[in-house]
Amino acid sequence: MKYLIALFALIAPVGALLANQVALDSEVFVERSVEQADGSVTVVVEEPTRVVPGDSLVFVLSYENAGAEPAENFVVTNPMPDAVAFVEAIDGGAVYSVDGGTVFAPLTELRVASDGGVDRAAQPVDVTHIRWTLTEPIAPGASGQLRFRGVVR
Amino acid sequence: MRPALWLSALSPLFIASAAHAAGTPAGTPIENTATASYDDGGSTVTVDSNTVSLIVDELLDIAVTWADPGDVIAAPDEDGVVLAFTVTNGGNGPEAAALTVDPNRAGDDFDPDAVTLFVDTDGNGTYDAGTDTLYNAGSPPVLAAEESITVFVLGDLPVASDGERSEVQLTATAATGSGTPGTVFAGQGDGGGDAVVGSTGATAADSGFYAILDADLDLTKSATVADPFGGATQIPGAIVTYRLVAEATGSGSLANVVITDAIPNDTTYVNGSITLDGGGLTDAADADAGAFDGSGISVVLGTVAGGSSNIIEFQVVID
Repeated sequence: MKYLIALFALIAPVGALLANQVALDSEVFVERSVEQADGSVTVVVEEPTRVVPGDSLVFVLSYENAGAEPAENFVVTNPMPDAVAFVEAIDGGAVYSVDGGTVFAPLTELRVASDGGVDRAAQPVDVTHIRWTLTEPIAPGASGQLRFRGVVR
Repeated sequence: MRPALWLSALSPLFIASAAHAAGTPAGTPIENTATASYDDGGSTVTVDSNTVSLIVDELLDIAVTWADPGDVIAAPDEDGVVLAFTVTNGGNGPEAAALTVDPNRAGDDFDPDAVTLFVDTDGNGTYDAGTDTLYNAGSPPVLAAEESITVFVLGDLPVASDGERSEVQLTATAATGSGTPGTVFAGQGDGGGDAVVGSTGATAADSGFYAILDADLDLTKSATVADPFGGATQIPGAIVTYRLVAEATGSGSLANVVITDAIPNDTTYVNGSITLDGGGLTDAADADAGAFDGSGISVVLGTVAGGSSNIIEFQVVID
């Protein structure tokens, strides 16, 4: 027990420092089409208090470098929740996995096995993970967002 | 919340997205966590985001369709005539379907005297007396997500005329609630979420039809006399040819039609004289339709369709 406490005492300050430098925040919103009095349709973005199959979701990943040093080779990976079918990335530069996160590539380069043993081109619905790799370091104090759309299966 | 930042990125394609039928079961959690890694002066740091957790709410959708291929044919005053309907839970959670039946529709020719609702308990799509259960409004059938059941309407029909039709409407409504699509029943969804009315309004109705098919038989009898001297006088030895015209009317058909006629007193039947539509029949009670039993003739016509007619002739000699 004494060893453990000693170890924690050593690790905790370092871990806290590193974990606090770049913060990653995940949010989900629902997009709804609402018909206006004049017959036009507007898309309203709401807090996801209520979601049913077929609802459009927008996932927003926000990052911020709260540290004093630039963060390089910043990579964000978001596994798709089981009940969500991927639709499209709103922010460019994403790569995808259709095999549970092993291989990442642009969607057009990915193939999946289909019935009868013949591969077919991967579709958005096949996506299991989405990943962005930032080409530029995140400067101290800088922040940004990475967003994608999904639909409740 | 930062919606303003990305509203401009909405694609027009997305506006047209329609609600799916059924789909993810109500109560399923959607949890999202992203992971980031970066290099911080030589060491690689990994951070997890917070986890956003949503629960899929229950969608309420009900569909009703009349399942018979066309008008259900019935005879006047027939009881227990079966109409079949399919009731479908198009939602994503188990839902009880409350049923109502309206036999008194406007614009049809007659209304059933009584209607009774049964649920197809054994799921074979056919009404089975004693097996399928009487609908109980106190405990309506519960349908799993995407499940369909068959509901039977048993109608007791009045004395209606040939060709008349009766419309009977079955309505099914989600027991949790119904209304304008989007209506919310907070906390009433399966699995702990809300219940939300889907595109069907969570209620649906369809109509089935009864059609009366009836037929009548008109029998006309005439006689022609031929005396032995080439005249038409009714004297002993004269041969009387009886002609029976059996004409079925209406759009239905008549089953097991047998025409019988007694040989008049003071006459003797001419053996082998029975004809049906010009064709000769034997007197024996055998495979052909005609028979003479010593006191009268009979001709079996079997099933006669409305609109058809048959001519039967036989001869007697005046004693």
